[in-house]
Amino acid sequence: MKIYTSKVDTDSARVVVADDMFLTKDMPTAAGSKMLDGYMSLFDAEVLTRLSDKGYVLGGKADVGEFAFDLIGETSYNGAVISDGKLTTASAEILKAGEAMATLNMDVNGSTRRAAAQNGLVSIKPTYGTVSRYGTVPVACSGETVSVTSTTADSCREILDAIAGHDDKDGTSLPTASCEKVKSAPAIRRVAILTSMTKGADADVLAKLDSVKAALTANGVEVCEIDNEVIPTARVAWNILMSAELCNNVSRYDGVKYGYRAQSFSNIDELYTNSRTEAFGELLKSTILFGSETLSTDNYMKVYDKALRIRRVIVEAFAKIFESFDAILMPACSALAYTEADIKENKYLVFEENFYTAPASITGLPAVVFGGAQMVGRSFSEMALLDLAKTCEKEGK
Amino acid sequence: MERDTLRRLEMLNQLSLTDAQKEDVIAFFAARDAELKTLEAIDTSDTERMVHVMPIMTVVRDDVIIKTFSREALQQGAPETDEGYWCVPRVVE
Repeated sequence: MKIYTSKVDTDSARVVVADDMFLTKDMPTAAGSKMLDGYMSLFDAEVLTRLSDKGYVLGGKADVGEFAFDLIGETSYNGAVISDGKLTTASAEILKAGEAMATLNMDVNGSTRRAAAQNGLVSIKPTYGTVSRYGTVPVACSGETVSVTSTTADSCREILDAIAGHDDKDGTSLPTASCEKVKSAPAIRRVAILTSMTKGADADVLAKLDSVKAALTANGVEVCEIDNEVIPTARVAWNILMSAELCNNVSRYDGVKYGYRAQSFSNIDELYTNSRTEAFGELLKSTILFGSETLSTDNYMKVYDKALRIRRVIVEAFAKIFESFDAILMPACSALAYTEADIKENKYLVFEENFYTAPASITGLPAVVFGGAQMVGRSFSEMALLDLAKTCEKEGK
Repeated sequence: MERDTLRRLEMLNQLSLTDAQKEDVIAFFAARDAELKTLEAIDTSDTERMVHVMPIMTVVRDDVIIKTFSREALQQGAPETDEGYWCVPRVVE
């Protein structure tokens, strides 16, 4: 169990801690993997430069699960973070201890949102392309985003405002005119609860959903239940796309130019194979193999191409709902706690639990977690989502 | 999944699994395969693929010299170097 992979002593009140997925030239970046243990970058991630330029202090790096695509950080080569008997993330522990005003996270596969929901935190996953990914460890590039987590919606808003905006160095960064749209998003007045996305959530999670619904209603927001049979398929499609992208992205780690190198090998093939086999964890290996298989000649059209088409179907399904509603309320996880026993029973639990987070990941839509629930909005509505979260915070006090 | 297929995937991805891990991965693949039925049930014959959710344009930068890193700096994290070269086992006999 390791919370910080690197920590700075500071008295500043403007401390932000970054997940160990952000490159830093003054601290190592391992991305939770033995493969990158001790790796030193030559430059800082763009978001960290922007925070520094605005007077914020990087207080340290928070440990993450291997390449941050697991359930809740359990696959870190430093070990899982356990608090009061339940699995959690290093970032969440740092925020709960009051050691930072906010954390920067990589939302690759929803672990950030799950941790926020389970720890009573606020987390915002912005619209894809509005925050630079330059200098982040790439995993599932078509859907992953930098996200911000804090104990309050106000702090999330402050940090998101400081890091958002076009970046020439990131080929997926949206133009300035698009990024500016977040400032003029209309307030959220009508919210839909997607009943098909509450499937599998336990009573505690559904109670959180009811509390948020009550807070919304008390603040004049109209809440209706609707159904949609397509959006729940996002999980399967995202598992395919994420695995394929991950497979390609981690193919760069071979023990030659940087990273872990095995001690024993007799030729170049053994150097590659032994280095990767010894350094990578089991969840990562299985996902690499699955991603590779989806891209094979036999499966490309049947599996990968199909998932790309389903992505469009899901985007269109959301667009249809957003003709009548401003946002969609759903759980972020099935339970308010995971334990080591859950992972021991099924180490691939994340491939099922991302049922709740995959819709926003595969579509690039913004999502805010607050009060233990998740709300997905139209593109560029992140500040409106945070405004609503703030209103509900007051309601809960 | 056939064991030969798994062996091919291991080779392609430069990984080597134990027998127990192979059994585990075969079960993992079976679970993923079973899920595919939910996608197959949706007709996408008239739907175009969506690679990026946002319009992505080719990045064109000004043709100006920017800061680059020295060879020494780029090799500082290398497992083994020699006189500016990355070292690997002999590949040509």
